[in-house]
Amino acid sequence: MDWKNFMKKQLKEPALTAISYLIPVVVAGGFLLAIGSIMGGASVANTKHVIGLWDAFSTMGGQILGLLPMVVGTGVAFAIADKPGIAPGMLVGLISIVVNAGFLGGLVGGYIAGWVTVAIIKYVKLPKIMDGMMPTLIIPLFASGIAGLIMFYIIGTPISALMTWLTHFMNGLNSHQLFFYGAIIGLLASVDYGGAINKTVFAFVLALQSQGINEPITCLILASMVTPFGYTLAFFLGKIFRKRIYTDMEVETLKTAFPMGIFEITEGSLPLVLNDLWRSVVATGAGGAVGGGFSMLWGADSHIPATGMLAIPTMTKPMAFIGALLIGTAVTGIVYFLLKKPVTAETVVKEEEDIDLGDLKID
Amino acid sequence: MKIVGISACSAGIAHTYIAKQKLIDAAKKAGDTINMETQGTIGTEDALTPAQIDAADVVLLAVDVKISGRERFEGKRVIEVSTDTAIKSPNKLLEKVHQVIGK
Repeated sequence: MDWKNFMKKQLKEPALTAISYLIPVVVAGGFLLAIGSIMGGASVANTKHVIGLWDAFSTMGGQILGLLPMVVGTGVAFAIADKPGIAPGMLVGLISIVVNAGFLGGLVGGYIAGWVTVAIIKYVKLPKIMDGMMPTLIIPLFASGIAGLIMFYIIGTPISALMTWLTHFMNGLNSHQLFFYGAIIGLLASVDYGGAINKTVFAFVLALQSQGINEPITCLILASMVTPFGYTLAFFLGKIFRKRIYTDMEVETLKTAFPMGIFEITEGSLPLVLNDLWRSVVATGAGGAVGGGFSMLWGADSHIPATGMLAIPTMTKPMAFIGALLIGTAVTGIVYFLLKKPVTAETVVKEEEDIDLGDLKID
Repeated sequence: MKIVGISACSAGIAHTYIAKQKLIDAAKKAGDTINMETQGTIGTEDALTPAQIDAADVVLLAVDVKISGRERFEGKRVIEVSTDTAIKSPNKLLEKVHQVIGK
């Protein structure tokens, strides 16, 4: 297997696959925890009694979010090794929680679990008569056991140490550095609209949140909202200054993109983005970077990893978030409004990008 | 040319479906028949039938993530790109497919 193919099939695709399984978990847990904490509920670890409704909400959310390292480990291992990867992936993710390697441990462990499983399938040869033993005994036992032991004795400690170091590093940043890192996160999170770059940043800031550092993920939440909000602002600027920047169909798209944006779903804006790609990237990148910078600088800290506006009540500094969001929205909106050409014809024919034939993989 | 394909992206709510639509539009323009299956967060929709796969000249995958049911395409010519490529350059992509397949 050549290097490029290895990168795609063995590194990138498993991570994206895992994140695709992760998102519904984050959404379910995030919203339940948000609703619970808004209503004054608290997470309960263990109970013999019937608990209050809002405590139940908080507990449901908290419990499933606590399992994120396991979910990501399972997703990665499944993407690499298919069904036999599930058991070792789950196990390695759970051990990652035990040894305090958290989300990053689950992610790295998932690769190990997947590769160990594939290696066992490929290299362990049993006599024909014992073929049935492979899926029922050998693979689940050895793949899980080996992957788990690697997490316990080899990678768990360095990853946990890395996360501790990162925690100290993030806590020790001065105000210039805070703005800088916030801007970087905001920029990367906003330039590809929920695509691969955004999801990679998501994995990273989620890892930090599992260590109790909430500011970076808040930058990402903000950056995801700045795009639809900024586009909406640009629409109203267009009304005020009598410059028509959207086609009728784009205005319709905006009507669904904005409410989706309230809950941090950028994807509703995608049709608008694709109609005018580079202007969009410049405008949203600028807004995401500036908004992310201020969010980090002022210490906006969402205690849940998603949900947009619903995350605000979980913050100790909600005004910091709202302020940064307004600034980011203003930047995206104004930049986009200024860059946009007035719309004349309803349909604009665009020149497509050339495709590199080397990118086509043909079997 | 008869094409069957699958689109699937990481979030599974937007790119997947935009890629599908772009490829369908581009195929219409090029005079090809195309059937696209989507594997989004909601699950598989418009699943390809064995007859469609049998009749297809080429399998076109616009995917960023692991897809299910890849074994259905055993023995077929499979071309794989990212959803990004299908969204940004659907017409050029189909041109290339025509060149590669020679139809």
